[in-house]
Amino acid sequence: MPASAKVLEAGSELPALSKTITQRQIDCYSGVRPKSIHTDVEWAKAKGFPAPLAQALMSTAYVSQMMVSWLGKGFIQGGKISASFIKPVIVGDTLTARAVIKSREELGGRPHVTVECWCENQDGVKTLVGSASGFADHLRT
Amino acid sequence: MIEFKTISYEVVQVGEDFMSDDFLIKPEDVETFAFAVDDHDPWYFENPSDSPFGGNITHPVLLGNQALFMRHSKYIVPAGLHAKMQYEFVEPIRVGMRVRTRGKLIDKYEKRGRHYMVTEFATRDEETGAVLVRGQFTQMLFPKSGVHEDARKR
Repeated sequence: MPASAKVLEAGSELPALSKTITQRQIDCYSGVRPKSIHTDVEWAKAKGFPAPLAQALMSTAYVSQMMVSWLGKGFIQGGKISASFIKPVIVGDTLTARAVIKSREELGGRPHVTVECWCENQDGVKTLVGSASGFADHLRT
Repeated sequence: MIEFKTISYEVVQVGEDFMSDDFLIKPEDVETFAFAVDDHDPWYFENPSDSPFGGNITHPVLLGNQALFMRHSKYIVPAGLHAKMQYEFVEPIRVGMRVRTRGKLIDKYEKRGRHYMVTEFATRDEETGAVLVRGQFTQMLFPKSGVHEDARKR
């Protein structure tokens, strides 16, 4: 069941985000330079990759977007992300960021939520796994 | 004058400090980042009435690369794979801030034949000294030459 503004039960899902990553976006994120596995096709191939890799940090931006859209101020001030990057993301991949509420607790007298989050590619392979958290007293959605 | 060495497991030392250049956050930086990650939240652009911050803020992860690239201020970093990232968002980041990230190498280790380095960091508003973001990241260092093992898994 998707999480709405007032639904904070463990097991609720946040609305997923899907992004197809272009080389232009990678270039803007990482900055174009030679001898980069992100922006130099030949260098990426020399390192054994079929094409340039998206920088892993880009995926944390998708998790951040999910959390800001949901928790708003409660993520901007006091939010956390802990992510492990377990598979490379290649230009042209479509990543979907997902999150499920794992727990809700009081922290300093404020409602605080933690989600299990992950990104998966178009083949359903997880590329990022981790958690994110923040305060749930200024929900946006 | 800095003498740049190529980064390697052997050359980096636990306890060594890193520091980024300072960086003025400009409207075009936010615009570029929004395009790169396809996140055009009005809180970052339109000074919307529903923003609780009294003006525009930026993506909280805007400065992640300033932390990662601290190492480039001391070393030649030919390539590496980012293994882990932890962020704690303390205060909103705003256009017009001049920011700098400082960090320290807190661990390095070998696991299954691969070399890793762990760096903690804090990004501050240089004018006020306020911490905006802090965290730590783990980078896998590529072997000095050759193909990375993970490349063969795709």
